Amino acid sequence: MQYLTNPLFGVFLSLAVYELGEWLFKKTKGFFLAQPLFFAMISGIAILALLAQIFHVSISEMYTKAYKPGGDIIFWFVQPATIAFAVPLYKRNDIVKKNAFVILASLIIGVIISLFAITFLARAIGLSRAGVASMLSQSATTAIALPLSQAMGGIPAITAMACILNSVAIYAFGSFVIKIFRLQKDPLGLGLGLGTAGHTVGSAFALEMGSIQGAMAAVAVVLIGVIDNLVIPIFAKIMSI
Amino acid sequence: MQEPQEIKKSAPILIQMLIYATILFVAQLISTAMPKSFPLPPAVVGLVLMYLLLTFKVIKVQWVDSFGAALIGIIGALFVPSGISLAANLKVMQAEGIKIIIVILLATVILLVVTAYTTLLINGLINIIFHKESNATDSLQNKEEQ
Repeated sequence: MQYLTNPLFGVFLSLAVYELGEWLFKKTKGFFLAQPLFFAMISGIAILALLAQIFHVSISEMYTKAYKPGGDIIFWFVQPATIAFAVPLYKRNDIVKKNAFVILASLIIGVIISLFAITFLARAIGLSRAGVASMLSQSATTAIALPLSQAMGGIPAITAMACILNSVAIYAFGSFVIKIFRLQKDPLGLGLGLGTAGHTVGSAFALEMGSIQGAMAAVAVVLIGVIDNLVIPIFAKIMSI
Repeated sequence: MQEPQEIKKSAPILIQMLIYATILFVAQLISTAMPKSFPLPPAVVGLVLMYLLLTFKVIKVQWVDSFGAALIGIIGALFVPSGISLAANLKVMQAEGIKIIIVILLATVILLVVTAYTTLLINGLINIIFHKESNATDSLQNKEEQ
C-alpha cells in the first residue's frame, strides 16, 4: 500500500485510463461506452476497488490515501482551463453582444422550466425529499452547486455526483441527444444548452461543434451559476422542497 | 474562418502562464470576499475577469490564447479525477443508487433540450417583433423618399 501513496500513482492512473479510453474510442470507431472520460471514470473506480480488495482496505480509504493526492494535482488545472474559456468567448464577442438579451432571457426561463421538469421527474421516480433537493442545483458548476444544494436541504455528495455525471453524459450521449432533438440547427441554443447541461466539459464539447456554440456555452457556465443562486431558493420555497 | 488575431504570434508560454496565474490569484481574492449565501468559485470569477480584460483591451488575445487552447484541448483528461472521486461516495449511491442516476441522466437531457428550445422560441418571438419594427422603419424611409 505504501508504494501507492506517492502522488505520482494518481497522476499515472488518471492519464493511463484516459489514454486507454481514447485508444479504445478510436478502435471502436466512437462506441459511446468507450468515450474516454466515461471509460476513465468506470475503469479508474474499478481499479481502485480491485486494489482495495488486494490490500484489504475500504474503497474510500484507497481513494483518499492512494488516488486523491495525484488526482488533485491534475484536477487543479481545471481552474486555469475554465478561465481559458474567456478566449473563445471573446473571439465571438460580436454574437454575444448582439444576442445579450436573448441569452439572458433564454437561460433564466430555461432554468425555471427545467427545474419544474426535474422536480416532477424526481418525485415521479420516488426520490426522497433530500434526494429531490440534491437534484435542483446540478445546472451550476460544482463549486456553486454544492453549497446551494446544502442550503436547500440536499446532500452535497449526491449533487457533486450529479455535476460529474452531467459532464460525462454530455460527452457520452450528447451527439445522440442533439441528433434526436435536431438541436444542431440553432448554434445559439445548442451552445447555451451544452453549457447548462454539461458545464465546463460541455463547453469544450460545444467548442468542437463551432466557435458560436463554444462561446455560448462559456456564457452559460458563468450566467447559470448566478441565475441558480437567485432562482433556486425561491423555487424551493414555492415547491416546498 | 481565420481571424487576424490568430495570425499574430503568441506570447511565450511562461508569460501566458503568468497572466493565468495572476488572474486566478485575483479571482481567488474576490471569491473569498463573496458572501456565503452567494458563492462564486474562483474559476468563474476568473473567466469573467479574463473576458473583461480582453474586451477592454487591457490584455491582447495572443497573450493568452495558445496556452488556453492547450488547456481546453485536454479538459476531458482534467476531469478524470472528478469522475473517479465517486469512488469515495459509493455509499451514497447504495441508498437510492439507480434512481438517482436515472434522474441525473434524464435531467442532463432536460437541461440541454429545454435550454436549446427556449432559446429558439425567444429568438423566434424577438424576430417577429423585430421584423415588424424593421418593416415599420422601412415604410417610414419609403415615405421620406417619396
